[in-house]
Amino acid sequence: MALRNASLSVNKGEILAIIGPSGAGKTTLLRLVNLLIQPTSGLILFNDVNTSGDDKHQRSLRRQMSLVLQYPALFDTTVFNNVALGLKIRGCPETVIKEKVDNMLAVVGLSGFEKRMVKTLSGGEAQRIALARALVTEPKLLLLDEPTSNLDPKNVSIIEDIVRAANTKSQVTVVLATHNLNQAKRLAQRVAFILDGEIVEEGASKEIFEQPKDERTATYVDGRMIY
Amino acid sequence: MKGKYLAGILLVIVAAAAAFALGLSGMAQSTPPERLVIATTTSTVDTGLLDYLKPHFDNEFHANMTWLYLGTGQALAVASRGDADILLVHDRVREDAFVKASNGTHRVTVMYNDFVLIGPQDDPAGVKGMSNVTEAFKRIAAKGEEGKAVFVSRGDNSGTNALELRIWSSAKITAKGKPWYIEAGQGMGPTVRISNEKQGYTVSDRGTWNKLKSEMGDNLKMQILVEGDKALLNPYGIILLNTEKYPNINSKLAEKFFLFMISDEGQKLIADFKVGEDQLFFPLFGKPDTIGLPSEKSEVQYWAQQLTSNQMKPPSWVQQIIVVAIPSIFTGDKN
Amino acid sequence: MIYLGGWEEIGFGLFRALQLIFSGDPEVLRITLISLRVSGTATLLGAAIGIPVGASIALRRFPARTLLISVINTLMGLPPVVVGLFLYLMLSNFGPMGFLRLLYTPEAMVLAQLVLVAPITAGVTLSAVSNVDARLKEMAVSLGADPLQEVRIILREARLGLLTAVIVGFGSAISEVGAIMMVGGNLLGYTRALTTAIVLLTNQGAFTEAIALGIILLGLAFAINILLTYLQLRTKAGLFAAETERHHPVT
Repeated sequence: MALRNASLSVNKGEILAIIGPSGAGKTTLLRLVNLLIQPTSGLILFNDVNTSGDDKHQRSLRRQMSLVLQYPALFDTTVFNNVALGLKIRGCPETVIKEKVDNMLAVVGLSGFEKRMVKTLSGGEAQRIALARALVTEPKLLLLDEPTSNLDPKNVSIIEDIVRAANTKSQVTVVLATHNLNQAKRLAQRVAFILDGEIVEEGASKEIFEQPKDERTATYVDGRMIY
Repeated sequence: MKGKYLAGILLVIVAAAAAFALGLSGMAQSTPPERLVIATTTSTVDTGLLDYLKPHFDNEFHANMTWLYLGTGQALAVASRGDADILLVHDRVREDAFVKASNGTHRVTVMYNDFVLIGPQDDPAGVKGMSNVTEAFKRIAAKGEEGKAVFVSRGDNSGTNALELRIWSSAKITAKGKPWYIEAGQGMGPTVRISNEKQGYTVSDRGTWNKLKSEMGDNLKMQILVEGDKALLNPYGIILLNTEKYPNINSKLAEKFFLFMISDEGQKLIADFKVGEDQLFFPLFGKPDTIGLPSEKSEVQYWAQQLTSNQMKPPSWVQQIIVVAIPSIFTGDKN
Repeated sequence: MIYLGGWEEIGFGLFRALQLIFSGDPEVLRITLISLRVSGTATLLGAAIGIPVGASIALRRFPARTLLISVINTLMGLPPVVVGLFLYLMLSNFGPMGFLRLLYTPEAMVLAQLVLVAPITAGVTLSAVSNVDARLKEMAVSLGADPLQEVRIILREARLGLLTAVIVGFGSAISEVGAIMMVGGNLLGYTRALTTAIVLLTNQGAFTEAIALGIILLGLAFAINILLTYLQLRTKAGLFAAETERHHPVT
C-alpha cells in the first residue's frame, strides 16, 4: 500500500488512533514510523530528530519504540525468552532482565508463565506476551497494529487496560491502528482517518466522531462507507 | 543468551570436527607397520589369495599389506600415476607396454592359472568338450545370431576382458555391439553372476569360478565347457615401479613384496592356496617356458641373486637353473 | 534344501549381522569405526560450512543470489562417482594436489564426503531459514536487533530445520560409496568403510556377509537419527513438564 499526503504528527504522551478501512495504509504507516521500510520521499521526525540515516542511527531510534502486531509474532521459545528478547538485544544485565520481565509479566497478568513455551498459550495470552515484550523495554513510542482484532472481548479489555495504564503511568506515547471505531473512541485522545493511502482528516477524537469536516470521514464513522 | 547458545553450538561443532580430525591422524600415526599398496586385479582379491598371503607377508616384514581392487586396465592407469607401490596384474601385452614406457623397471611372471569358458548347463551352442576355444567362440557367435545364445563380456578393460577380445579377434568376429553380446562393465564375480541370470556364456578365470561354485552351490546353474586351450592360459605378472619416476612410492617394501612373491616360501604358499579342494594358482616364477610362454632368463637370474643376497630362498626349480649357471654359489645348498 | 531365492541371503545376513555385532568382530568394528569417523567428520565440517553459507544466502540480498541458489541446488545432486573421480585426479601423485599425499587416506574420504555433504547441508539450511515467518524476521528488527543479533534470532527459530540439515547430511555421507571408493581405495583396516566393504563382498559373491554389513549400516544410521531426533524433541519434553507444574489460571 502506497502512502501519499500522509502528514501527521503525534504529540508526546497522547494516544493517537489511526482509523480507516483495511488496506487503507495503516500498517504501512506504522512500518514507516518503526523504520522497517524507508519512505521514497518525505520526512519522518522522531523527537525532532530526522530519522533518515544509516542503520546504526535508525537502530538507535528504533530501540526507543516498540511494535505490536495483530498476530503476536512470538518466537518459538519460552515466555521469558520472548519478553526478555528486547532487553537482551539492548545488552541489559541478566539480573535486571529477570526483574523487569517479572514485573512486566505481573502487569499483563501472566506471572508464573516464564517457563511456558509460547506454543501452549491461548491467543489472548500470546497477545498479552507480545504486549509485555513491547513494553518491557520502556519505549517512548508504542505502535499497535490492530492489536486486538483476533481476540475475544475479555482479552480486548485486558489489552486496552494495559495500554491505557502504560500511557497514563509511564507517559508512553501510543499510535494505535485499528478499524475498530469503538476501540479508537475508548482509547484515543486524537484520531486520524486514513483512506486509500491518504490522511483525510485528523483531529480530537470527539471532533472526528461527532463533527467530521470531511464527507468521507463522516460516511466512514457512520458505518455507511462501502469498500 | 541466544547468542551464547548459538556460539556454543558452533563451538561444539568445530571442537568435535577437530577432535575427529585429530583422531583420524592419530589413528594413522599409531600404526607402526609400513603400508604397502598393491594395485591388483579383481581375481587375486575375489579368490582370497591376497587375504591368505597377507598375514605371512605382514609378519615377516613388519608390514601392512593392502591392495586396490581394480581391473587390470585401471590398476595400470593408477600405477602409472604413481598412486600404488607395486603391480600384480594379468595382461602380458599391456604389462610389457607399461615397462617399455619406463613406468616399471622389472617384470616377471609370478604365477598362472587358466581361464575356462563357462556356459549354461543345456549348452545351446553345443561347445562342451571342444579343445579349441576359438572354434567354440565361432559357434557361440553363430548361435547368437540365431538368437539362441548370449555371451557376457566383462567389458571393463580388465586382463580377462583383454584375453577374451584376443580370442574374438583370432576368430575374426566383431562381437561388440551385437544383440547377443552383453558388456557387463563389472568384475569377474558379478560377470559370472550376470551370465548365470542370463544363462549366457562367459570367460572366467578358474579361481573365481571355483570360488563362486563353492559359495553359490546349486544356485550357480553353469558349467565348464571348454578348458585347457593354450589361448586360455592366464599368467600373472608382478611389476616393480620406476622409483625415478615415482619417488614417493614405498619402493623398499614393494621390492620386499616382489621378493616374497617369487621366493620359495611365496611360491609354495601360492601353490598351497586352495578353495575347497581346488588349487587356484600355480607358481610360475622362473619357468614360464614350461607352459609355452617365453622364458624370462635374465630377469630370473637377476632376481635369484637378489633373493640370496636378501637371505631368501629361491624356489627349488630356479635353484637348479642357477646351479648350472653359477655353480659356486649354490652347490652347498641343494634341495 | 528348499531354495528361498534372495530371502535366504537376507535371512542369514540378519543372523550373521547379530553374530558379528555380539561377537565384537574386530574387523567389523574397525570398518564401522572408520565409517563413523569419516562420515561424522564430514558431516560436522559440512555443517560448519553449509549452515553459515545457507543462512547467509537465505538472509542476504545480493546480485548473484538466484544464481548461487541454483548452483547449490545443483551441487546437492552431485554424483558421488564424479566427485570421486575428480578428487582422485586432483589428489593423485601426479595431480595438482598430489604433494599433499592424501590419496587413499581417511582424510581424502572426509574431503570427498565434505564436497558432497556441504551443499546438502547448505541447501536444507537455506530452505529452513527461508521458511522462517517473514513477520518474525521483521519483529526481530523491530525489537532493535542489529544484523548479527537478527541472524542469531532467526537461526534459533530455524533450529529444527538446521538439525534436519545435519541429519540429512549425515545420512548422505554414511551411505555414500562411489566417491570414498575412489579416493579411499578401500584399503583393508585403513580406508575400508561399511559401504565399500559391502561392494567388495558383493563382488566376491559373499552376499550374506554383505547383507550383514548392510544391516549394521542401517542400524547405525537409525541409531544416530534417534539420537538427533531425541535432541530435537528435548525442548518439547521440557515444555510438557513446565506445563503441568507452571500452569496458572488467568485471572
